[in-house]
Amino acid sequence: MTAVTTTSGISGKARTKQHWNGLILPAVLILVWEAASQFGIVDARLLPSLGTIAGRAWNELAEGRLAVDIAASLVRYLTGFAIGSALGIPAGLALGLSRTLDRCVGPTFNAVKQIAVFAWIPLISVWFGVGEAAKIAFIALAAFTPVVVNTWAGARSVPRDLAEVAQVLTLSRWQRLTWLAIPSALPSIFVGLHLGLIYSWLATVGAEYFMTIGPGIGGLMTEGREHFHMDLVILGVVLLGGIGLGLNRLATVLETHVLSWKQH
Amino acid sequence: MTDHGTLEIRNVGKRFDVAGQTVAALSDINLSVAPGEFVSIVGASGCGKSTLLRLIVGLERDYDGEILLKGNRLAGPTLGRAIVFQEHRLFPWLRVEDNVALGLLKSTLPADEKRRLVREHLDLVGLGSFAKAYPAQLSGGMSQRVAIARALVNRPDILLLDEPFGALDALTRAYLQAELRRIVRSEGITAVLVTHDVEEAIFLGDRIVVMQPRPGRIAEILPVDSSSQHDRASPAFAHLREIVLNGLGAHHPVLPGRLAA
Amino acid sequence: MTNLELDRVAFEAAVADQPDKPSGGQVAGRLTEGLRTIAAALVFPAALLLVWSGASRLDLVPAQILPDPRLVLTTFREFYATGELAFHAEISLFRVLQGFSLGASVGLVLGISMGLSQRVRELAEPLFLAIAQVPPLGWIPLVMLLVGIDEALKVIIIAKAAMIPVTINTCKGIRNVPRNYREVGEVLTFGRWLTLTKIVLPASVPTVFTGIRYGLTNAWLALVAVELLASSEGLGYLMVWGRQLFQLDIVIMAMVAVGLIGFFLDWSLGLIERWLQRWEVVGT
Repeated sequence: MTAVTTTSGISGKARTKQHWNGLILPAVLILVWEAASQFGIVDARLLPSLGTIAGRAWNELAEGRLAVDIAASLVRYLTGFAIGSALGIPAGLALGLSRTLDRCVGPTFNAVKQIAVFAWIPLISVWFGVGEAAKIAFIALAAFTPVVVNTWAGARSVPRDLAEVAQVLTLSRWQRLTWLAIPSALPSIFVGLHLGLIYSWLATVGAEYFMTIGPGIGGLMTEGREHFHMDLVILGVVLLGGIGLGLNRLATVLETHVLSWKQH
Repeated sequence: MTDHGTLEIRNVGKRFDVAGQTVAALSDINLSVAPGEFVSIVGASGCGKSTLLRLIVGLERDYDGEILLKGNRLAGPTLGRAIVFQEHRLFPWLRVEDNVALGLLKSTLPADEKRRLVREHLDLVGLGSFAKAYPAQLSGGMSQRVAIARALVNRPDILLLDEPFGALDALTRAYLQAELRRIVRSEGITAVLVTHDVEEAIFLGDRIVVMQPRPGRIAEILPVDSSSQHDRASPAFAHLREIVLNGLGAHHPVLPGRLAA
Repeated sequence: MTNLELDRVAFEAAVADQPDKPSGGQVAGRLTEGLRTIAAALVFPAALLLVWSGASRLDLVPAQILPDPRLVLTTFREFYATGELAFHAEISLFRVLQGFSLGASVGLVLGISMGLSQRVRELAEPLFLAIAQVPPLGWIPLVMLLVGIDEALKVIIIAKAAMIPVTINTCKGIRNVPRNYREVGEVLTFGRWLTLTKIVLPASVPTVFTGIRYGLTNAWLALVAVELLASSEGLGYLMVWGRQLFQLDIVIMAMVAVGLIGFFLDWSLGLIERWLQRWEVVGT
């Protein structure tokens, strides 16, 4: 039976070996890929060589188009996420702290959130058109749901014994909110924000497919698909992956920093 | 902090509805705590001693009878009554000094005065050098000392303690009992302690209130007047302990003639 | 006499009074409590519905932006009667189950092998994570160029959407089987197979099942997206069709259907999960 080892239990040398091992498969894949396209085993249109892709990337970059697309996607992603979270956190807090709201509005929210988020696109496209506003509205909606759900859960579970301390110290409602409810709900809020980041990114890509006006990575890939430019499409995929990875890292770092009091 | 007849409990009773039946948790409680006095309430689980404390501090408001603090009828918590719970109940996201400062959140004192009070009380409990630490970094005993500082920082009229050392190991408990006695004496604090530990009650108290359950009532009140009775090693201590245990209704084999009246 | 004996006295006293079965008055009390909860839950949506129909009736909003709720109801009845709604719903349901089964199976196999073998994990994990970073939608143009816009496209995308959470959670579940349990297996001289079947797999079920639930949710999400983009039947197609004709009543009806089916799928899995975990002690 293979022994279970945790990363912390491995020596530096073993960890380097781990990293090298991780690169084997991708390296093999790339080799096979290059060979297939160079030797014409696969149609060059279906599987362009890495050189072609790199060349394409360079071109787009030089023309400034790539930068515009990436920037456009990121801007609307962050805007939508910010709006969705800014609305979601107070909503979640209200639901978690007020029994009335929890009982009256809560069930409706739980019912509506069952509707898969993409199902809102036709409706949003009618209400907001197909421009920036529509995309941002959709992205905000995608962030709103997980933020509310998690903030709500966090606000509901303020520890009762600490609530009694607040009572005994005669803290006002506002003081209880800022000193007790919000800090105690903060870990859950961050889980919600993390999920919101992920879903907003999904929504950004989706929005760019459906509402095709304006620059963006999604538009880049749609164009590539329509003109059978596989290299463009693959470029888009790589960009999506890279940005997704970067965002994930960023979210984790922020989370660890803000919740540093938990580490001890 | 001194006022005539600090805490007056008159004919207090408390009933709970449990599974459709009314249970009397407390019945006919009469107690008067003088300023600067330390009263220990001792009784087995279920005798209502914690309930009584919660009534005094204002966490439960529905009861029969009267509870007066310095002559005023009580309705809900006020800063005049402070409480230390069995769990330290520190806010984990606040540093030690901010936790203590929570006690002053409602006071209208200027900021630097508040800082001074916080520092003073942390020194009082011997944790001055841990002001910037987080609760997760402290041991159980240290956390409980911070809780005591938080309770005292407001200079309350009366300090209530609900089995404050129950969750700690025996060594820490003994140490904190000595610390509590030192603090209470040096500040002249009026205190009511609830505990199931008879020795703790005798060690700390000027008077011992023995409670019995169903319904929760006061069985007897015993004075602890001679200083030898506070000394754990003395026969007077052991003798008082026997009396208290007897009063609690705990029967155990006694050699005939051993217990003097 | 020690404090221990003191507590024993108290314990015996406490054990003497045990609460009995609930009285008639209590049952009635719980019933009214349940009714009150339902009533509270209905107030808000009822108010919304009122505002909505009011706005439509007073022509405050054009019908293309917000159709009359009664129209939505009529449309729903029509589609239900003609069987058209069932037709599209079944297609969507079938698709998602197809894609989900494919993705979940692959995910389980991958997750188990990654969970059991350090080697496999070292080799496969980085590549897997890289692929996971790209959202299922991101793969659509690529896959579209490779296989066109037929069923294959939808199944592949849905499968991918399901596979990722299943793999991650399965791997995590297997790796997180507590050491204690494994040690019991060692002491009882279980071989590899017994350890796997008697200890590792059962212990990892909760986490694995969480992954399966996420997988189905993701699969449903992906299905809706894919059907919106490239389909000629299914609930997604229904929405696109209604949108193009500016008949929002159809769109809203389809949205409700999407919501109901999505809820039903997750709820069913929830039941299975609770059945699988009936041995779990409350509080763990």
